[in-house]
Amino acid sequence: MMAMSPIDPRLQEALDGERDPGTLPVDLREAYARLIGAANLLQTIPATSVAARVMAEIHDLKPEVENLRPARRIVRWLSRPRAVTLRLRPAWTLALAAGLAAILLMPTQPTNGPIPGAQEGIAQFVGHFPGARSVEVVGSFNDWSRGSLHLQDENHNGIWHAAAVLPAGPHEYMFVVDGERWVADPLAGRYIDDGFGAGHENSLLIVRPAQASAEEDADRR
Amino acid sequence: MVNDGAPSDVEIVARVLGGDGEAFGILIRRYEPGLLRFATRMLGNPDAAADAVAESLVRAYRHLAQCRDPARLRSWLYRITGNRCRSHLARRRTNDISLSDAPPLADGSDTWAVLERGEQVALVERALNALPAEKREAFVLKHVEGMSYEEMAAVTGARIPTLKMRVHRAREALLAALEELV
Repeated sequence: MMAMSPIDPRLQEALDGERDPGTLPVDLREAYARLIGAANLLQTIPATSVAARVMAEIHDLKPEVENLRPARRIVRWLSRPRAVTLRLRPAWTLALAAGLAAILLMPTQPTNGPIPGAQEGIAQFVGHFPGARSVEVVGSFNDWSRGSLHLQDENHNGIWHAAAVLPAGPHEYMFVVDGERWVADPLAGRYIDDGFGAGHENSLLIVRPAQASAEEDADRR
Repeated sequence: MVNDGAPSDVEIVARVLGGDGEAFGILIRRYEPGLLRFATRMLGNPDAAADAVAESLVRAYRHLAQCRDPARLRSWLYRITGNRCRSHLARRRTNDISLSDAPPLADGSDTWAVLERGEQVALVERALNALPAEKREAFVLKHVEGMSYEEMAAVTGARIPTLKMRVHRAREALLAALEELV
C-alpha cells in the first residue's frame, strides 16, 4: 500500500485556486507542479467518437414521455400496498415477509408522511440487505442521483425500507448498497433492460395516482 | 464551451424538443470529447467508456424534457455519464480489462517524444486508477474537466465539503502514488 500523508494546507489552497502558487515554498511548488502536470497529462482527448452511433440510435426515437413503453401490467404491490403476494424462496424471505407485512400495512397516506398530489402516488421500497451500512434508491425519478432517497433499517434486522411520493407512471430504479453496489430489487414485479448493452436490467415500478388507489379501495369495501 | 455565434444549449434543447432531432448532433459534438475523457478516466477502458457515453447520450436524448435547467446541460450530461460509469464499475466482471492494464489515451505516432509522453500518461493513469472511484471521480472532475465545486456538486449529488475532502484526499494519494511509481 502506498504511504499517504496529509498535504500542506497551503498546497491545497493553491490547487483550489485560492492562493498564488508562486508564494509557496520550493518543496510545495514542486508538489504543485507534479500534480498539475499529472492532471495535464490526463487531459488528453480520446480519438474515438460515438456521434454516428448515437445519431443512428436516436434516429427513430423522439425525446421524452411519448417513447416510454406502456407497461403491460401494473406492479400492484408498490402502488396498492395491501394487495401483496410474495413468492417465498430462500429462508431469508421469511424475515423479509415479516418486515414487509409490517411496512405494507402502514396507511397509504401516513399522517406525518408526504402527501401525494392528484397525479402522484406513494412508492414503497423494501430490500433485505443484512450487514449493509447504507441502502439508497436511485432511479429515473431522481435522475439516478444518489443522496436523495435513503432506506432505513429501523429494527436493525437487515430489512431496509423507505416510502416516497413519486409522479404517477413507470419508474426505473436500483438499490445502491453501501454506496457502491448496485442491486436490482429482487421483489420488483417487472424489470427492464438498462440500455447499457450488457444484458443487465433495472427494476421497474409503476406508481398509480393515490386518488385512483383510494377510489379502488373504497369500491372494494 | 459555446463559441460566439453558436446556438446556446437552451436553444438547441428547445429545437430538439420541438422535433428537430438532428440538432442533438450539435450537443454531441460539443460535449462528446469531455464526456469520453471523463468516462475513460473513470472506467480505465476506452471501449467501455465509449459504450457508457453512447448510452448516456441516448438516454439524455430520450429524457431531454426532464432536464430541468438546460442552461446547465453540461452538468446534467456529466451526471448521467457518471451514473452509467458507477453502474458499470459496480458490475465490472473479472474478465474485464483492469484499470491498471488499460492502454494510455495518447495515440501513437512513432516518435520518442510521443512514446515518452505515452509512458508518462500510463504512469499517471496507474496512479489515478489506484484511487477509489469516488476520489478518482472528484479529482478528474476538478483537475481534468476543470469544474468548480458547485458544478461538481450538481454532477455528483454530493455536498461541496464532501467533494473538497475527496479532492484533497485524492491529491494526497496521487502524490504518494506518483512518488512510488517514479
